[in-house]
Amino acid sequence: MKPPPFVRQLFYKIWNIISAVSVRAKILGMALGLVLLLGAGITVQVRASLAAIMRDQLDDKSISTTHDLAARSTDPILLNDLVNLQKLLVETQANNPDVRYAFIIGSDGRVLAHTFGAGFPVGLLEANAVGASDHHHTVVLQTEDGLVWDTAVPIFDGRAGTARVGLSDARLRQSLQTVTGQIALTVVLVLGFGVLVATSLTWVLTRPILELVNATHIVSKGDFSLRVQRWADDEIGDLAEAFNAMTVELARTDELRRDREELRRQLLERVISTQEDERKRIARELHDSTSQNLTSLMVGIRTMSAGCKDPAMLTEAEKLRAVAAQTLDEIHNISMRLRPRLLDDIGLSAALEKLVAEWQARYKIPVDLLLQCGPQRMAADIETAIYRIVQEALTNIARHASARSVSVLVENRNGNLLAVIEDDGRGFDSAASTGDRHLGLVGMRERAELLDGKLTIESTPDSGTSIYVEIPQKEARA
Amino acid sequence: MKRILPFLFLIWAASACSPVLRVEPETYVDLDNLQSLPTPSQDGIPLRVAVAAVISPKGTVESYSALMDYLGEKTGRPVELVQRRTYLEVNDLVERGEVDMAFVCTSAYIAGRDDFGMQLLVAPQVNGETVYRSYLIVPIDSPARDMADLKDKVFAFTDPISLTGRAYPTYLVEQLGSTPESFFSRTFFTYSHDEAIYAVANHLADGAAVDSLVYDFAVSRDPSLAQKTRIVHTSPSFGIPPVVVSPEVRPQIAAELQALLLEMSNDPAGRTALQSIGIDRFVLIEDNMYDSVRSLLGSVALPGMP
Repeated sequence: MKPPPFVRQLFYKIWNIISAVSVRAKILGMALGLVLLLGAGITVQVRASLAAIMRDQLDDKSISTTHDLAARSTDPILLNDLVNLQKLLVETQANNPDVRYAFIIGSDGRVLAHTFGAGFPVGLLEANAVGASDHHHTVVLQTEDGLVWDTAVPIFDGRAGTARVGLSDARLRQSLQTVTGQIALTVVLVLGFGVLVATSLTWVLTRPILELVNATHIVSKGDFSLRVQRWADDEIGDLAEAFNAMTVELARTDELRRDREELRRQLLERVISTQEDERKRIARELHDSTSQNLTSLMVGIRTMSAGCKDPAMLTEAEKLRAVAAQTLDEIHNISMRLRPRLLDDIGLSAALEKLVAEWQARYKIPVDLLLQCGPQRMAADIETAIYRIVQEALTNIARHASARSVSVLVENRNGNLLAVIEDDGRGFDSAASTGDRHLGLVGMRERAELLDGKLTIESTPDSGTSIYVEIPQKEARA
Repeated sequence: MKRILPFLFLIWAASACSPVLRVEPETYVDLDNLQSLPTPSQDGIPLRVAVAAVISPKGTVESYSALMDYLGEKTGRPVELVQRRTYLEVNDLVERGEVDMAFVCTSAYIAGRDDFGMQLLVAPQVNGETVYRSYLIVPIDSPARDMADLKDKVFAFTDPISLTGRAYPTYLVEQLGSTPESFFSRTFFTYSHDEAIYAVANHLADGAAVDSLVYDFAVSRDPSLAQKTRIVHTSPSFGIPPVVVSPEVRPQIAAELQALLLEMSNDPAGRTALQSIGIDRFVLIEDNMYDSVRSLLGSVALPGMP
């Protein structure tokens, strides 16, 4: 059965209030709320019980007092001893502080004696009556002093008249007020004590929690050396211990991760350097050996064609020479792309100028190249990395971007080598790129990060792509 | 929480004012609005009958109410039974004409006749006699056999001027050559004969002298009294306590009342009323019936006695 919506709303409202406050306020609220609720319950209960008991007592007292008066007034009435009758009434009133009034009605219905002094209240005589055979009759009267229990008892079976006594509830109300006041005082004292206890309890509870929160912040920043103190042997103490165990485990995992990262980095470095070396070797081989052979071949063909008179043969030789020349050219290009000798021999600027010039010539896309690297050479691995990143970026632009213009900036800024490659092509969602292109981007980033650098790609569809690379400079190796 | 706590505080504060007395008062009376009581209006002139406190006020009402009702019915006037604590107070009422008729004690009659000419109306007849006696009674377990055995004991007198309750026991003590003050260790007045019997039966007194009519009547009503008290001495017979009228009363009224009382035994309702006060009938009586009492009273010295 689901609760009706308003109950759920109420529940959410209460939960919103309760959950929005601190633990301190919760505990204080619980303690004070309980004290107040308990105080309210006890006050209502005590007042109700006490009032019921006192009312019954007042009822009984009213009857017994009137009976006593009736019994004692018989003789004075029969003997017409009005002085003693009056004394009896005064005595009754003096002995019972609750008695508001007392009076005796004779058998003829006349008031024989009363305690009102001069005159008799209007309407009081008629307010209560009792049969001669009845034990008593009580009515509750509303007076300006509060309620009055008026009891009538026949005297001497009604033959001597009726005794009437009125008991006021003034003392009852006063007692109730006193008791209520005492309970109120107790509640206030307990409230004060509750605030004290709740505050210290809050301190005891929240101190380790706050310490844990603080420790969590520190751990989240990567400091795993922190250990929290176990304050108490309770759930929070367990939490502190669990937290410490977690921190130890995190520290261990972090170290493992660092080791692996270092290993991976070394591996990558080696792969890249091996790759570069290999490319260098192949490029040299191509240049030194294959190119030489091809050149020899071309010289041989020329020598052969010089001694030949047959025009058909000459044409054929010229074709062969052209093929050889083209192959030589291609080998030169391959060697160049594998490893430009300029990069090793002259420097990054020259290598980039050559790369851009060739790329421009090949793809017919204007490139705005700005180089501010200074005359000094940088470390070979940094130069290689920048060169390869620019090379990869240009390859990507040629393949995917459909750009109309490209700008390449490489400059030495604040000791860092900065490279920016921008195009005005299609762009792509840099966060969602996958496949070859993704691999290419990852490779660029790896190269930068191996050298403690940073690579940022900014690209959105239809607004071009910008790649920023920043690598801290080291002095060139000797 | 800051919103909830004041709310709880309010609940608690409200609880301190919780209504606790679920009593619906029936009437409103302003106890400070005082007014002087109306003076009683009398329906006809009442016939006032005084009865001397031979027995206690309650006993008197119980015994005499039938007689009063009978008188009221016969005279057509409201009857008011008037009682006073002592015999002398009743005598005063008769002297001042505040009562029309009175049942008085023998010694009170003698005093009243001497003082202001109290008039005999009728006398009750009990068991065919118009005399009564004084019984000296002691608790049933008392070893006393006569007045001499009650020396240094506590003695209860009835009324200061009672013949049977005070004059006769004083006479007995004087016969023993003493006075009540020195003979008894302590004395007190009960002001009625039935309470003197009660005092002896309950060991409040070691002895008392009581009206034989009252004692016999009380024992017949409550036989357990005979188990608690014992008669150790009976006096000679005295003239019975009479019904009297004031000398001021008009002779016609006195004659009417006399006739009415004398006729009672011929009327069934009258007989019932007579039975309730323990007498056979009312008869006429002469003043010389009380001469023996006069001589006894003349021989004892009683303070406050005429």
